[in-house]
Amino acid sequence: MSKPLEVLLLDDEPIVGRRLKPALDKIGCHVEIFESPIEAVARIDQKEFDIVVTDIRMEEMNGLQVFEHVKKKWPRTKVIIITGYAKMDLAREAMEKGIFDFIAKPFRPDDLRQIIARAAQALGTPIDLSLIKD
Amino acid sequence: MDYSMLCRVIQGEVIMGIFEKFKKFTRKEPGIKKFCIQTIRFRKLLENARGLLALLADGNEKVLGEYILDRHYVTSLVDSTVERLGMIIYDACVLAPEFGETLYMQYDKHKRRAGELISQNGIRDKKNMADDTNISSDPEYELLSDVLTWLNGESSDPGATVIDFMRQTFVRVLKHLDAGNNSKVELLLANNISKAPGSNMFLLDLWEDAVAPSAKPHSLDDIKCIPLKLLLMDTDGGNLSPLVDDKNKTATWIATSSEYQLSLKILEPDCSFHLEATVSGHERSDFIFIFADASINTENILPQGFLTETTDYGKLAWKLDATSKAIEDSLISIGRNLSQKNV
Repeated sequence: MSKPLEVLLLDDEPIVGRRLKPALDKIGCHVEIFESPIEAVARIDQKEFDIVVTDIRMEEMNGLQVFEHVKKKWPRTKVIIITGYAKMDLAREAMEKGIFDFIAKPFRPDDLRQIIARAAQALGTPIDLSLIKD
Repeated sequence: MDYSMLCRVIQGEVIMGIFEKFKKFTRKEPGIKKFCIQTIRFRKLLENARGLLALLADGNEKVLGEYILDRHYVTSLVDSTVERLGMIIYDACVLAPEFGETLYMQYDKHKRRAGELISQNGIRDKKNMADDTNISSDPEYELLSDVLTWLNGESSDPGATVIDFMRQTFVRVLKHLDAGNNSKVELLLANNISKAPGSNMFLLDLWEDAVAPSAKPHSLDDIKCIPLKLLLMDTDGGNLSPLVDDKNKTATWIATSSEYQLSLKILEPDCSFHLEATVSGHERSDFIFIFADASINTENILPQGFLTETTDYGKLAWKLDATSKAIEDSLISIGRNLSQKNV
């Protein structure tokens, strides 16, 4: 059995982690959820995640700062940004800086799973989305 | 002729050109212009109503629970609703100024309700943080559900929901517009505008006739308006039904149109029928809207696929988000049905 994808999920809205974790578990990800960017960054310092999914707008630290931190510490890690409609320009700017992709709220869990599958492919550890049982 | 003289001549011609246009513009009959502006404003009202229905549809889709959404989505939905409703009320007050005070008072109530919903959000969020792990009681979803109830929930109080208030507003505007049907015919005749030869329909070009009404009647053969061409495709020389009990009566219709837009209505004192359509080939903007008063049996007029709402005054029917082909086919069917004397 292949090693599960290590995913860190950061969003200060509790609903995001609560709803996304089960959806990502289903595709064989091992997910750690955080609502505080400070705590998430502390965890990133300790552990190399395959994928970091982060909200862009948070009070203590924004998603781009989290991305910069990940990029410096773990260049291999793929970062996906969650954004609202109002922040689409910022997300596009982040794409130019090297984030893997972004997704705008509201979205379906499957939309994120598709992006994670592409990120997994890029990391050389492809996952099979057809195995999902909802 | 030297350069400076040439410039003066050109400037003079330009100024004269503008002056001639200005003279032409001021020569227009204000009544016709007002009628055309009213038509444009009513279409604006429909456009805003469509925007409001789209917000409701989006909320209804999101509340099913498949989406990851946040407070920002719900508060944006509330803000957009208030904004769109404000535009509808503004349009309605321009069209039917006598309802201004009543409509704005009701609008203010809805704005207050919107404010309450958003502030309720914070209270629910705190409650959720204290002791909730149940997905079905996510505060964002609870708030969205409350917002949708405000938008279109069950209520016995007229105008309590946004959609019912919008419906009432439409009826008020339509009643107001229909009140002057006789004077509209007089206005057209006073401006030497006559019906299209061989038809019972006045044809007005929405833009050209607003500036300067045409001296000679527009012919059905000259129609540039795509939706009107479709509507009259299967009719007998553009003669539409009187829609009243006396089927031998010759009813008067008016079609105000531009290339892609049609506003069609009957100009009879005891009958109200409005059709608004856009056929441009762009599916997101094409639509048909119909209002028929309670005396008209719309089952003989409407093809399949229309959404309808019945009010005390009559029936509202619309077809949105359909393919261009479906809109075109519907217009042909409606035209065919309207040309039958037994509708």
